[in-house]
Amino acid sequence: MPAVLELVEAVRRADTALGLLQATQALAAAAHPESAACLVEILGFNNPGAAVAAVDGLIAIGEPAVDTILTNIDGYNYGARAWAVRALAGIGDVRGLAVLEDALGKDIGPSVRRAAARGLGQLRLAGLPAEERHGMALRCLQALVDGCRDGEWVVRYAVVVGLESLASALGGDGAVDSARPRQQLMDALRGLHGDANEEAPVVRLRAALALQRLEAAHD
Amino acid sequence: MAASTRSRLATPFMDAGFSDQSPLGAGDPISEEEALRRLRLTDDPSAQYYAAWWLGRNRSTHPDAVPLLQEALRQRRPRDLGAGVEENAVARNAARALGKLAPAALVAIEDLLATLEDEDHGLREAAARSLGELRAQAAVAPLVRRLATGPSVAGAQQPGTPRLVEPCEALLEALGDIGVATPEVLKVIEPFVQHERPLIRSAASRALLQLTGEERWGQLLVELLQHQQLQVRRAALMDLGGAGWRPALDPIARTLAENSLKLIALRGLVENAGPGSEPASDPTLDASTVAVMEAMDALL
Repeated sequence: MPAVLELVEAVRRADTALGLLQATQALAAAAHPESAACLVEILGFNNPGAAVAAVDGLIAIGEPAVDTILTNIDGYNYGARAWAVRALAGIGDVRGLAVLEDALGKDIGPSVRRAAARGLGQLRLAGLPAEERHGMALRCLQALVDGCRDGEWVVRYAVVVGLESLASALGGDGAVDSARPRQQLMDALRGLHGDANEEAPVVRLRAALALQRLEAAHD
Repeated sequence: MAASTRSRLATPFMDAGFSDQSPLGAGDPISEEEALRRLRLTDDPSAQYYAAWWLGRNRSTHPDAVPLLQEALRQRRPRDLGAGVEENAVARNAARALGKLAPAALVAIEDLLATLEDEDHGLREAAARSLGELRAQAAVAPLVRRLATGPSVAGAQQPGTPRLVEPCEALLEALGDIGVATPEVLKVIEPFVQHERPLIRSAASRALLQLTGEERWGQLLVELLQHQQLQVRRAALMDLGGAGWRPALDPIARTLAENSLKLIALRGLVENAGPGSEPASDPTLDASTVAVMEAMDALL
Protein backbone atom coordinates (compact mmCIF):
# COMPACT_ATOMS: atom_id res chain seq x y z
CA MET A 1 0.00 0.00 0.00
CA PRO A 2 1.39 3.46 -0.86
CA ALA A 3 2.55 5.42 2.14
CA VAL A 4 -0.14 8.08 1.87
CA LEU A 5 -2.93 5.49 1.97
CA GLU A 6 -1.42 3.98 5.09
CA LEU A 7 -1.47 7.41 6.69
CA VAL A 8 -5.12 7.88 5.67
CA GLU A 9 -5.88 4.46 7.10
CA ALA A 10 -4.29 5.50 10.39
CA VAL A 11 -6.62 8.51 10.54
CA ARG A 12 -9.63 6.24 9.96
CA ARG A 13 -8.50 3.87 12.71
CA ALA A 14 -7.89 6.61 15.29
CA ASP A 15 -10.38 6.20 18.12
CA THR A 16 -9.24 8.87 20.57
CA ALA A 17 -8.86 12.62 20.23
CA LEU A 18 -5.12 12.33 20.78
CA GLY A 19 -4.80 9.44 18.32
CA LEU A 20 -6.64 11.46 15.67
CA LEU A 21 -4.41 14.45 16.31
CA GLN A 22 -1.24 12.39 15.88
CA ALA A 23 -2.50 10.58 12.79
CA THR A 24 -3.56 13.89 11.25
CA GLN A 25 -0.20 15.46 11.98
CA ALA A 26 1.53 12.55 10.23
CA LEU A 27 -0.79 12.78 7.22
CA ALA A 28 -0.42 16.55 7.01
CA ALA A 29 3.37 16.32 7.17
CA ALA A 30 3.34 14.20 4.00
CA ALA A 31 1.66 17.11 2.14
CA HIS A 32 0.53 14.71 -0.56
CA PRO A 33 -2.25 15.84 -2.94
CA GLU A 34 -4.04 12.52 -2.51
CA SER A 35 -4.49 13.21 1.18
CA ALA A 36 -6.54 16.38 0.52
CA ALA A 37 -9.94 14.67 0.65
CA CYS A 38 -9.15 13.04 3.97
CA LEU A 39 -7.74 16.28 5.41
CA VAL A 40 -10.89 18.13 4.36
CA GLU A 41 -12.99 15.46 6.07
CA ILE A 42 -11.05 15.93 9.31
CA LEU A 43 -12.12 19.60 9.35
CA GLY A 44 -15.63 18.39 10.27
CA PHE A 45 -14.62 16.16 13.19
CA ASN A 46 -14.92 18.81 15.92
CA ASN A 47 -11.36 18.21 17.07
CA PRO A 48 -9.65 21.62 17.02
CA GLY A 49 -6.14 20.23 17.37
CA ALA A 50 -6.60 17.86 14.44
CA ALA A 51 -8.27 20.59 12.41
CA VAL A 52 -5.31 22.91 12.90
CA ALA A 53 -3.00 20.16 11.65
CA ALA A 54 -5.31 19.38 8.71
CA VAL A 55 -5.40 23.05 7.68
CA ASP A 56 -1.60 23.15 7.82
CA GLY A 57 -1.51 20.05 5.63
CA LEU A 58 -3.89 21.55 3.07
CA ILE A 59 -1.88 24.76 2.93
CA ALA A 60 1.29 22.72 2.44
CA ILE A 61 -0.34 20.89 -0.48
CA GLY A 62 -1.36 24.27 -1.86
CA GLU A 63 -3.03 24.71 -5.24
CA PRO A 64 -3.68 21.00 -5.91
CA ALA A 65 -5.92 20.97 -2.80
CA VAL A 66 -8.10 23.91 -3.87
CA ASP A 67 -10.64 21.98 -5.96
CA THR A 68 -11.13 19.42 -3.23
CA ILE A 69 -11.71 22.15 -0.67
CA LEU A 70 -14.10 24.09 -2.90
CA THR A 71 -16.22 21.08 -3.78
CA ASN A 72 -16.49 19.91 -0.19
CA ILE A 73 -17.48 23.12 1.62
CA ASP A 74 -19.82 21.91 4.35
CA GLY A 75 -23.07 23.87 4.19
CA TYR A 76 -24.29 22.52 7.52
CA ASN A 77 -21.29 22.70 9.82
CA TYR A 78 -19.87 26.18 10.26
CA GLY A 79 -16.99 24.91 12.32
CA ALA A 80 -15.87 22.87 9.34
CA ARG A 81 -16.56 25.75 6.96
CA ALA A 82 -14.40 28.05 9.03
CA TRP A 83 -11.46 25.66 8.80
CA ALA A 84 -11.98 25.20 5.05
CA VAL A 85 -12.06 28.95 4.48
CA ARG A 86 -8.95 29.24 6.62
CA ALA A 87 -7.19 26.72 4.40
CA LEU A 88 -8.31 28.64 1.29
CA ALA A 89 -7.04 31.85 2.87
CA GLY A 90 -3.69 30.25 3.61
CA ILE A 91 -3.29 28.91 0.09
CA GLY A 92 -4.29 32.24 -1.43
CA ASP A 93 -5.46 30.77 -4.73
CA VAL A 94 -7.66 33.18 -6.69
CA ARG A 95 -10.16 30.39 -7.43
CA GLY A 96 -11.26 30.88 -3.83
CA LEU A 97 -12.22 34.54 -4.32
CA ALA A 98 -15.95 34.01 -4.86
CA VAL A 99 -16.18 31.70 -1.86
CA LEU A 100 -14.34 34.23 0.32
CA GLU A 101 -16.56 37.11 -0.83
CA ASP A 102 -19.65 35.09 -0.18
CA ALA A 103 -18.41 33.89 3.19
CA LEU A 104 -17.55 37.35 4.50
CA GLY A 105 -20.79 38.85 3.25
CA LYS A 106 -23.28 36.15 4.16
CA ASP A 107 -22.05 33.33 6.34
CA ILE A 108 -23.84 32.97 9.68
CA GLY A 109 -20.69 31.75 11.44
CA PRO A 110 -18.45 34.55 12.73
CA SER A 111 -15.46 32.22 12.55
CA VAL A 112 -16.17 31.70 8.84
CA ARG A 113 -16.47 35.42 8.15
CA ARG A 114 -13.32 36.06 10.17
CA ALA A 115 -11.27 33.57 8.17
CA ALA A 116 -12.67 34.96 4.92
CA ALA A 117 -11.74 38.53 5.81
CA ARG A 118 -8.17 37.51 6.43
CA GLY A 119 -8.12 35.50 3.20
CA LEU A 120 -9.37 38.42 1.12
CA GLY A 121 -6.23 40.29 2.07
CA GLN A 122 -3.82 37.60 1.01
CA LEU A 123 -4.86 36.20 -2.36
CA ARG A 124 -1.80 35.60 -4.49
CA LEU A 125 -2.48 37.99 -7.32
CA ALA A 126 1.12 38.57 -8.40
CA GLY A 127 1.22 36.19 -11.36
CA LEU A 128 -1.89 37.56 -13.05
CA PRO A 129 -2.13 40.07 -15.93
CA ALA A 130 -2.42 43.63 -14.60
CA GLU A 131 -6.07 44.16 -15.56
CA GLU A 132 -7.22 40.94 -13.96
CA ARG A 133 -5.12 41.53 -10.91
CA HIS A 134 -6.53 44.99 -10.44
CA GLY A 135 -10.12 43.81 -10.87
CA MET A 136 -9.66 41.10 -8.28
CA ALA A 137 -7.98 43.43 -5.82
CA LEU A 138 -10.93 45.81 -6.16
CA ARG A 139 -13.36 42.98 -5.44
CA CYS A 140 -11.39 42.09 -2.32
CA LEU A 141 -11.38 45.72 -1.27
CA GLN A 142 -15.11 46.11 -1.75
CA ALA A 143 -15.87 42.97 0.27
CA LEU A 144 -13.59 44.15 3.09
CA VAL A 145 -15.02 47.68 3.11
CA ASP A 146 -18.51 46.16 3.45
CA GLY A 147 -17.15 43.92 6.22
CA CYS A 148 -16.27 46.98 8.35
CA ARG A 149 -19.92 47.00 9.39
CA ASP A 150 -19.97 43.40 10.59
CA GLY A 151 -21.70 42.94 13.95
CA GLU A 152 -18.91 40.84 15.49
CA TRP A 153 -15.76 42.41 16.84
CA VAL A 154 -13.60 39.50 15.73
CA VAL A 155 -14.75 39.89 12.14
CA ARG A 156 -14.02 43.62 12.19
CA TYR A 157 -10.60 42.79 13.63
CA ALA A 158 -9.99 40.37 10.77
CA VAL A 159 -11.17 43.01 8.28
CA VAL A 160 -8.45 45.33 9.57
CA VAL A 161 -5.84 42.62 9.08
CA GLY A 162 -7.24 41.88 5.61
CA LEU A 163 -7.16 45.54 4.60
CA GLU A 164 -3.59 45.95 5.81
CA SER A 165 -2.34 43.02 3.79
CA LEU A 166 -4.41 43.95 0.74
CA ALA A 167 -2.72 47.34 0.54
CA SER A 168 0.35 45.88 -1.16
CA ALA A 169 -1.83 44.45 -3.95
CA LEU A 170 -3.28 47.90 -4.63
CA GLY A 171 -0.08 49.89 -4.74
CA GLY A 172 2.87 50.22 -7.03
CA ASP A 173 1.11 49.51 -10.29
CA GLY A 174 1.63 52.00 -13.07
CA ALA A 175 -0.80 50.39 -15.51
CA VAL A 176 -3.97 51.20 -13.61
CA ASP A 177 -5.04 53.91 -11.28
CA SER A 178 -4.40 52.73 -7.75
CA ALA A 179 -4.57 56.01 -5.88
CA ARG A 180 -8.32 56.04 -5.37
CA PRO A 181 -8.64 52.42 -4.15
CA ARG A 182 -5.76 53.03 -1.80
CA GLN A 183 -7.52 56.10 -0.47
CA GLN A 184 -10.66 54.03 0.03
CA LEU A 185 -8.67 51.40 1.92
CA MET A 186 -7.05 53.98 4.20
CA ASP A 187 -10.43 55.62 4.81
CA ALA A 188 -11.89 52.28 5.84
CA LEU A 189 -9.07 51.77 8.34
CA ARG A 190 -9.44 55.31 9.66
CA GLY A 191 -13.16 54.73 10.07
CA LEU A 192 -12.53 51.63 12.21
CA HIS A 193 -9.81 53.38 14.17
CA GLY A 194 -11.93 56.41 14.96
CA ASP A 195 -15.26 54.71 15.65
CA ALA A 196 -16.30 55.93 19.10
CA ASN A 197 -19.05 53.30 19.20
CA GLU A 198 -16.64 50.42 18.70
CA GLU A 199 -17.25 48.01 21.60
CA ALA A 200 -13.83 46.37 21.25
CA PRO A 201 -10.83 48.61 21.92
CA VAL A 202 -8.62 45.95 20.34
CA VAL A 203 -10.22 46.60 16.93
CA ARG A 204 -9.39 50.30 17.09
CA LEU A 205 -5.91 49.51 18.31
CA ARG A 206 -5.28 47.02 15.50
CA ALA A 207 -6.49 49.64 13.00
CA ALA A 208 -4.06 52.14 14.50
CA LEU A 209 -1.24 49.63 14.01
CA ALA A 210 -2.25 49.00 10.39
CA LEU A 211 -2.39 52.73 9.66
CA GLN A 212 0.97 53.30 11.31
CA ARG A 213 2.59 50.56 9.23
CA LEU A 214 1.00 51.58 5.93
CA GLU A 215 1.77 55.25 6.39
CA ALA A 216 5.38 54.43 7.25
CA ALA A 217 5.67 52.21 4.17
CA HIS A 218 4.19 54.85 1.90
CA ASP A 219 6.41 57.74 2.96
CA MET B 1 -14.14 45.65 29.06
CA ALA B 2 -13.53 42.54 27.12
CA ALA B 3 -13.84 38.93 27.86
CA SER B 4 -14.04 39.44 31.54
CA THR B 5 -16.52 36.77 32.44
CA ARG B 6 -16.85 33.15 31.61
CA SER B 7 -20.60 33.59 31.50
CA ARG B 8 -19.85 34.79 28.02
CA LEU B 9 -19.26 31.20 27.13
CA ALA B 10 -23.00 30.94 27.00
CA THR B 11 -23.76 33.88 24.74
CA PRO B 12 -24.70 33.39 21.15
CA PHE B 13 -21.98 35.54 19.64
CA MET B 14 -19.62 32.63 19.80
CA ASP B 15 -19.27 29.74 17.50
CA ALA B 16 -18.76 27.01 19.97
CA GLY B 17 -22.40 26.10 20.25
CA PHE B 18 -23.12 26.78 23.89
CA SER B 19 -26.69 27.90 24.07
CA ASP B 20 -28.09 28.33 27.57
CA GLN B 21 -29.22 31.90 27.19
CA SER B 22 -29.10 32.27 23.45
CA PRO B 23 -32.68 32.47 22.31
CA LEU B 24 -31.70 31.96 18.72
CA GLY B 25 -35.06 30.41 17.92
CA ALA B 26 -36.60 33.81 18.61
CA GLY B 27 -33.59 35.52 17.14
CA ASP B 28 -35.28 37.77 14.63
CA PRO B 29 -33.64 41.17 14.34
CA ILE B 30 -35.69 43.64 16.35
CA SER B 31 -35.40 47.32 17.23
CA GLU B 32 -34.75 48.74 20.66
CA GLU B 33 -38.35 50.00 20.79
CA GLU B 34 -39.58 46.51 20.02
CA ALA B 35 -37.37 45.00 22.72
CA LEU B 36 -38.74 47.46 25.28
CA ARG B 37 -42.31 46.71 24.16
CA ARG B 38 -41.76 42.97 24.57
CA LEU B 39 -40.20 43.40 27.99
CA ARG B 40 -43.46 45.04 29.12
CA LEU B 41 -45.49 41.95 28.13
CA THR B 42 -45.72 40.50 31.62
CA ASP B 43 -48.05 37.75 30.44
CA ASP B 44 -45.61 36.54 27.79
CA PRO B 45 -42.42 35.32 29.50
CA SER B 46 -40.80 34.06 26.33
CA ALA B 47 -41.13 37.48 24.70
CA GLN B 48 -39.70 39.05 27.85
CA TYR B 49 -36.90 36.51 27.96
CA TYR B 50 -35.68 37.46 24.52
CA ALA B 51 -36.21 41.17 25.12
CA ALA B 52 -34.12 41.13 28.31
CA TRP B 53 -31.31 39.32 26.54
CA TRP B 54 -31.50 41.71 23.59
CA LEU B 55 -31.17 44.84 25.75
CA GLY B 56 -28.05 43.47 27.43
CA ARG B 57 -26.52 42.16 24.24
CA ASN B 58 -26.99 45.48 22.50
CA ARG B 59 -25.98 47.51 25.54
CA SER B 60 -29.11 49.59 25.41
CA THR B 61 -28.81 53.08 26.82
CA HIS B 62 -32.54 53.82 26.57
CA PRO B 63 -33.79 55.41 29.84
CA ASP B 64 -36.56 52.78 30.12
CA ALA B 65 -34.22 49.81 29.83
CA VAL B 66 -32.89 49.64 33.40
CA PRO B 67 -36.26 50.31 35.14
CA LEU B 68 -37.95 47.64 33.03
CA LEU B 69 -35.17 45.15 33.73
CA GLN B 70 -35.46 45.88 37.45
CA GLU B 71 -39.17 45.19 37.13
CA ALA B 72 -38.46 41.94 35.30
CA LEU B 73 -36.00 40.95 38.00
CA ARG B 74 -38.77 41.35 40.60
CA GLN B 75 -40.95 38.92 38.67
CA ARG B 76 -38.96 36.07 40.18
CA ARG B 77 -40.80 33.49 42.20
CA PRO B 78 -39.94 31.17 45.06
CA ARG B 79 -38.36 28.11 43.53
CA ASP B 80 -41.23 25.90 42.49
CA LEU B 81 -40.59 23.51 39.66
CA GLY B 82 -43.43 23.54 37.20
CA ALA B 83 -44.84 26.92 38.16
CA GLY B 84 -42.34 29.74 38.46
CA VAL B 85 -39.62 28.41 36.25
CA GLU B 86 -40.35 30.42 33.17
CA GLU B 87 -40.59 33.69 35.04
CA ASN B 88 -37.32 33.00 36.79
CA ALA B 89 -35.79 32.54 33.38
CA VAL B 90 -36.89 36.09 32.62
CA ALA B 91 -35.39 37.26 35.92
CA ARG B 92 -32.12 35.49 35.14
CA ASN B 93 -31.81 37.19 31.80
CA ALA B 94 -32.77 40.51 33.37
CA ALA B 95 -30.02 40.07 35.97
CA ARG B 96 -27.50 39.22 33.26
CA ALA B 97 -28.54 42.19 31.15
CA LEU B 98 -28.17 44.61 34.05
CA GLY B 99 -24.55 43.54 34.40
CA LYS B 100 -23.88 44.80 30.89
CA LEU B 101 -25.53 48.19 31.31
CA ALA B 102 -23.11 50.16 33.46
CA PRO B 103 -23.24 52.96 34.43
CA ALA B 104 -27.04 53.23 34.12
CA ALA B 105 -27.50 49.91 35.90
CA LEU B 106 -25.62 51.00 39.02
CA VAL B 107 -29.00 51.98 40.48
CA ALA B 108 -30.00 48.30 40.27
CA ILE B 109 -27.22 47.09 42.58
CA GLU B 110 -29.67 46.89 45.51
CA ASP B 111 -31.97 44.68 43.43
CA LEU B 112 -29.08 42.44 42.45
CA LEU B 113 -27.92 42.20 46.07
CA ALA B 114 -31.43 41.05 47.01
CA THR B 115 -31.31 38.54 44.14
CA LEU B 116 -28.02 37.22 45.49
CA GLU B 117 -30.05 35.99 48.49
CA ASP B 118 -32.63 34.18 46.34
CA GLU B 119 -33.19 30.47 46.84
CA ASP B 120 -32.83 29.89 43.10
CA HIS B 121 -29.24 28.83 42.47
CA GLY B 122 -29.32 30.06 38.85
CA LEU B 123 -30.54 33.48 39.92
CA ARG B 124 -27.81 33.81 42.53
CA GLU B 125 -25.31 32.88 39.86
CA ALA B 126 -26.57 35.48 37.40
CA ALA B 127 -26.76 38.17 40.09
CA ALA B 128 -23.21 37.46 41.27
CA ARG B 129 -21.76 37.75 37.79
CA SER B 130 -23.56 41.01 37.15
CA LEU B 131 -22.48 42.48 40.48
CA GLY B 132 -18.94 41.61 39.42
CA GLU B 133 -19.37 43.27 36.05
CA LEU B 134 -20.75 46.37 37.78
CA ARG B 135 -17.77 46.35 40.18
CA ALA B 136 -20.23 46.56 43.06
CA GLN B 137 -18.14 46.89 46.20
CA ALA B 138 -21.28 46.47 48.32
CA ALA B 139 -21.38 42.87 47.08
CA VAL B 140 -18.03 41.88 48.57
CA ALA B 141 -19.38 41.12 52.07
CA PRO B 142 -22.31 38.96 50.92
CA LEU B 143 -20.12 37.14 48.37
CA VAL B 144 -17.53 36.39 51.05
CA ARG B 145 -20.25 35.23 53.42
CA ARG B 146 -21.58 32.72 50.85
CA LEU B 147 -18.12 31.29 50.23
CA ALA B 148 -16.86 31.38 53.81
CA THR B 149 -17.74 27.77 54.60
CA GLY B 150 -15.18 26.72 52.02
CA PRO B 151 -14.94 23.89 49.48
CA SER B 152 -16.34 21.28 51.86
CA VAL B 153 -19.64 23.09 52.45
CA ALA B 154 -20.28 25.93 50.00
CA GLY B 155 -18.31 23.94 47.44
CA ALA B 156 -19.90 20.55 48.16
CA GLN B 157 -22.06 18.89 45.57
CA GLN B 158 -25.78 19.13 46.22
CA PRO B 159 -27.23 15.64 46.54
CA GLY B 160 -29.15 14.61 43.46
CA THR B 161 -27.85 17.42 41.21
CA PRO B 162 -24.56 18.21 39.51
CA ARG B 163 -24.59 21.63 41.21
CA LEU B 164 -22.57 22.77 44.13
CA VAL B 165 -24.30 24.22 47.18
CA GLU B 166 -23.33 27.71 46.01
CA PRO B 167 -22.65 28.89 42.45
CA CYS B 168 -18.97 29.03 43.39
CA GLU B 169 -17.55 29.88 39.98
CA ALA B 170 -19.72 32.96 39.68
CA LEU B 171 -19.09 34.06 43.27
CA LEU B 172 -15.32 33.70 42.90
CA GLU B 173 -15.32 35.41 39.55
CA ALA B 174 -17.28 38.35 40.94
CA LEU B 175 -14.82 38.84 43.80
CA GLY B 176 -11.96 38.94 41.28
CA ASP B 177 -13.75 41.43 39.06
CA ILE B 178 -14.76 43.74 41.89
CA GLY B 179 -11.13 43.93 42.94
CA VAL B 180 -11.20 44.39 46.70
CA ALA B 181 -8.05 42.58 47.80
CA THR B 182 -8.33 42.52 51.57
CA PRO B 183 -6.72 39.67 53.55
CA GLU B 184 -10.19 38.46 54.47
CA VAL B 185 -11.25 38.16 50.82
CA LEU B 186 -8.03 36.37 49.84
CA LYS B 187 -8.32 33.97 52.76
CA VAL B 188 -11.81 32.94 51.70
CA ILE B 189 -10.84 32.41 48.06
CA GLU B 190 -7.56 30.52 48.55
CA PRO B 191 -8.95 27.13 49.69
CA PHE B 192 -10.90 26.91 46.41
CA VAL B 193 -7.68 26.46 44.37
CA GLN B 194 -7.70 22.96 45.95
CA HIS B 195 -11.30 22.21 44.94
CA GLU B 196 -11.84 18.81 43.33
CA ARG B 197 -13.40 20.40 40.24
CA PRO B 198 -10.92 21.99 37.86
CA LEU B 199 -13.40 24.68 36.80
CA ILE B 200 -13.58 25.90 40.39
CA ARG B 201 -9.80 25.80 40.71
CA SER B 202 -9.61 27.89 37.55
CA ALA B 203 -12.11 30.46 38.79
CA ALA B 204 -10.32 30.77 42.14
CA SER B 205 -6.91 31.13 40.49
CA ARG B 206 -8.23 33.81 38.20
CA ALA B 207 -9.70 35.79 41.09
CA LEU B 208 -6.46 35.55 43.06
CA LEU B 209 -4.44 36.56 40.01
CA GLN B 210 -6.67 39.58 39.48
CA LEU B 211 -6.48 40.56 43.13
CA THR B 212 -2.79 40.00 43.81
CA GLY B 213 -0.97 39.83 40.47
CA GLU B 214 1.10 36.98 41.91
CA GLU B 215 2.66 34.74 39.29
CA ARG B 216 1.82 31.49 41.11
CA TRP B 217 -1.88 31.96 40.37
CA GLY B 218 -1.16 32.64 36.71
CA GLN B 219 0.95 29.49 36.56
CA LEU B 220 -1.94 27.44 37.93
CA LEU B 221 -4.09 28.69 35.08
CA VAL B 222 -1.39 27.98 32.52
CA GLU B 223 -1.24 24.40 33.84
CA LEU B 224 -4.99 24.10 33.33
CA LEU B 225 -4.51 24.99 29.66
CA GLN B 226 -3.05 21.48 29.38
CA HIS B 227 -5.96 19.76 31.09
CA GLN B 228 -7.32 16.73 29.27
CA GLN B 229 -10.87 18.11 29.17
CA LEU B 230 -11.57 20.71 26.51
CA GLN B 231 -14.12 22.40 28.76
CA VAL B 232 -11.42 23.05 31.37
CA ARG B 233 -8.97 24.37 28.79
CA ARG B 234 -11.67 26.74 27.55
CA ALA B 235 -12.35 28.04 31.04
CA ALA B 236 -8.66 28.59 31.74
CA LEU B 237 -8.38 30.53 28.46
CA MET B 238 -11.23 32.82 29.47
CA ASP B 239 -9.76 33.25 32.94
CA LEU B 240 -6.31 34.22 31.71
CA GLY B 241 -7.93 36.66 29.29
CA GLY B 242 -10.15 38.05 32.01
CA ALA B 243 -7.12 38.65 34.21
CA GLY B 244 -5.12 40.10 31.31
CA TRP B 245 -2.02 38.12 32.28
CA ARG B 246 0.44 38.69 29.42
CA PRO B 247 3.03 36.05 30.37
CA ALA B 248 0.37 33.56 29.18
CA LEU B 249 0.58 34.75 25.57
CA ASP B 250 2.50 31.78 24.14
CA PRO B 251 0.73 29.10 26.19
CA ILE B 252 -2.63 30.53 25.08
CA ALA B 253 -1.60 30.50 21.43
CA ARG B 254 -0.51 26.84 21.75
CA THR B 255 -3.58 25.56 23.63
CA LEU B 256 -5.61 22.86 21.95
CA ALA B 257 -8.90 24.72 21.68
CA GLU B 258 -10.93 26.65 19.15
CA ASN B 259 -9.27 29.72 17.70
CA SER B 260 -12.44 31.68 18.54
CA LEU B 261 -11.75 31.20 22.23
CA LYS B 262 -8.05 31.89 21.96
CA LEU B 263 -8.87 35.14 20.17
CA ILE B 264 -11.22 36.17 22.99
CA ALA B 265 -8.53 35.34 25.54
CA LEU B 266 -5.89 37.31 23.65
CA ARG B 267 -8.26 40.24 23.29
CA GLY B 268 -8.45 40.11 27.08
CA LEU B 269 -4.65 40.31 27.30
CA VAL B 270 -4.75 43.49 25.21
CA GLU B 271 -7.68 45.18 26.89
CA ASN B 272 -7.59 44.04 30.50
CA ALA B 273 -4.77 45.74 32.28
CA GLY B 274 -2.36 43.82 34.39
CA PRO B 275 -3.52 42.14 37.58
CA GLY B 276 -4.51 44.37 40.43
CA SER B 277 -5.35 47.40 38.33
CA GLU B 278 -8.34 48.77 36.51
CA PRO B 279 -8.95 47.76 32.92
CA ALA B 280 -7.06 50.06 30.59
CA SER B 281 -9.44 52.42 28.87
CA ASP B 282 -6.83 53.38 26.34
CA PRO B 283 -4.30 50.64 25.68
CA THR B 284 -1.36 51.76 23.60
CA LEU B 285 0.76 50.36 20.81
CA ASP B 286 3.71 49.26 22.92
CA ALA B 287 5.80 46.28 21.85
CA SER B 288 4.04 43.86 24.17
CA THR B 289 0.59 44.85 22.87
CA VAL B 290 1.76 44.52 19.27
CA ALA B 291 3.08 41.03 20.07
CA VAL B 292 -0.34 39.99 21.37
CA MET B 293 -2.04 41.34 18.26
CA GLU B 294 0.40 39.52 16.00
CA ALA B 295 -0.49 36.31 17.79
CA MET B 296 -4.16 37.15 17.18
CA ASP B 297 -3.52 37.77 13.47
CA ALA B 298 -2.07 34.27 13.18
CA LEU B 299 -5.24 32.74 14.61
CA LEU B 300 -7.72 34.34 12.24
